[in-house]
Amino acid sequence: MDTTGAGALIRALEDVGCEVIFGMPGGAILPAYDPLLDSVKIRHVLVRHEQGAGHAAQGYAQATGRVGVCMATSGPGATNLVTPLADAYMDSVPIVAVTGQVARSVIGTDAFQEADIRSITLPITKHSFQVTDPADIPAVIAEAFAIAASGRPGPVLVDLPKDVQSAPATYVPAPPATRGRPAVSPVQVRKAAQLIATSHRPVFYVGGGVIRSGAAQALFRLATRTGIPVVTTLMARGAFPDSHPQHLGMPGMHGTVPAVAALQRADLLIALGTRFDDRVTGSLPHFAPSAAVVHADIDPAEISKNRRADVPIVGDCQDVIAALNAVVSRTPDLTSWWDYLNGLRSTYPIGYDWPADGALAPQYVIERLSTLAGPEAIYTSGVGQHQMWAAQYVKYERPASFINSGGLGTMGFAVPAAMGAQVGAPDRTVWAIDGDGCFQMTNQELATCAIEGIPIKVAIINNGNLGMVRQWQTLFYGGRYSNTRLNTHNRVPDFVKLADALGCAGLRCSEKSEVDGVITEAMAVRDRPVVVDFVVGQDAQVWPMVAAGTGNDEIMAARGIRPLFDEEAE
Amino acid sequence: MTRHSLSMLLRNEQGVLARVVVLFSSRGVDVERLSLRPAGELFRLDVEVALLPGRSLAQLVEQLRRLVDVREIRHVDEELELGA
Repeated sequence: MDTTGAGALIRALEDVGCEVIFGMPGGAILPAYDPLLDSVKIRHVLVRHEQGAGHAAQGYAQATGRVGVCMATSGPGATNLVTPLADAYMDSVPIVAVTGQVARSVIGTDAFQEADIRSITLPITKHSFQVTDPADIPAVIAEAFAIAASGRPGPVLVDLPKDVQSAPATYVPAPPATRGRPAVSPVQVRKAAQLIATSHRPVFYVGGGVIRSGAAQALFRLATRTGIPVVTTLMARGAFPDSHPQHLGMPGMHGTVPAVAALQRADLLIALGTRFDDRVTGSLPHFAPSAAVVHADIDPAEISKNRRADVPIVGDCQDVIAALNAVVSRTPDLTSWWDYLNGLRSTYPIGYDWPADGALAPQYVIERLSTLAGPEAIYTSGVGQHQMWAAQYVKYERPASFINSGGLGTMGFAVPAAMGAQVGAPDRTVWAIDGDGCFQMTNQELATCAIEGIPIKVAIINNGNLGMVRQWQTLFYGGRYSNTRLNTHNRVPDFVKLADALGCAGLRCSEKSEVDGVITEAMAVRDRPVVVDFVVGQDAQVWPMVAAGTGNDEIMAARGIRPLFDEEAE
Repeated sequence: MTRHSLSMLLRNEQGVLARVVVLFSSRGVDVERLSLRPAGELFRLDVEVALLPGRSLAQLVEQLRRLVDVREIRHVDEELELGA
């Protein structure tokens, strides 16, 4: 017996290549923190709230393509990880959460800080373990990492009773756990290629799976060889360069008119690593009514879940796209299809009006941020209007440059995710584009960033309100603004002072003429995090919009303007 | 609703039954009958479930299949209309 269960845990984490843990100690995880102090391979980032640890692990995982790790104690420490686990489950992010648990002898007795975290997280984890024998720890950690990263990635929980951590153990390295990857059916790929060859109005409907599988390059080759239009979902922004003329933008509820039209009018959807989410499809019976569907996904449970696939292909996007590249030869004549889409693109570009009251336009702030920070930066966002503007107005040129909470829609994601992304990509500029509501949920991690030397930059798009909810109240609740006003325009809190109190540089901007200067000033700060309070108008809205529950043909380019609906009526 | 019988082999791991049952409740699947018994080194779970209108059995089977502890799964009988 040369070590303890805790010692074996740290060595096992080192052996699977873990280089950073975001976490916070507490009673039931104390034994693990002792050998952690001596590890030279693993950096521990002490967060201020366990939710921050979980989102940081997600940000790290998405920026690096590796498994992110977070650690917390039992009971409330573990339950604070529930939101990040659910988020990682929805967005297929590979993370491993290590939680302390009360000693085996008192499990089930309502002991101090006891919570049955395995049961609590059953529906939101890909898998979970509770270790009952310290000898199992190396194999469990190896398997947890393999499960998190393989197939459709996702969160894995490892729950460690305190006495198992303290027990004497001998460290025996576990053989690396490997999990196979499904072989792509050549028959299905040939069928897909035939459909592509005979289609007249095809479109690549690209989802986050293309980024997770590292298939962006292969997609670029396939798209440019075939000349087929591409749309990238919220989770796939950056999977295909925004600057490329074949890219029509993001589809869905706040997608571009040409991207939505491409799906609606298509005769063939080539769906890659995407799950036909309701924010993309709108009302399902009205979605892409005349399209045949090729649906490639690593998870067979996603295929034909929301829309029946004519040609299902189970496989990793990298393998599927490589196989398509090998067999797709003839490409259809797309001239009239492109004429139609280009017409929409020039008639209905993404755009915005300046507020009549002279307030700063939030879209302008994000546009300038994109121009000045550039495509090599990493952008994260919270959830709401600022997230949609970050998806619409930042120009993404490379995969994993936009990290946001898509499926779960977790407010407060931006700051801790940026922290994790910055740790994983220390040489990149990381901008958290956040809302004034979101920012107040998780800004305590700026103290972590200041202390740990993680110089993220935060752009608060401060419209004084829960902006997206307010937008819905404007559009669907007769302008009755129930509980959406946050009073941040009255400086409660004062974000500049708050930034200062958290050890960050704090800047403020409320004039168009100051935007570039303030962004440049923020970019020059390298020794600590920066927070910029962009005070913007409260009435700006996210357009285009497909109202929830309606068909995508009813997309409104702006309020009352329905290009596809009117086109049909002609 | 439609009723189906499924039979599966599960790894003998702690909490495996909970994981399968939670999947049913999360996905709106009613469990009408369930039995679990040892089968060599594994467990055999026989279950009769009722699906919401429009939900597909094939998709439920794929969702079960992605559970790490589910080794094998079989659809035992043809679908029966409830009340028939």
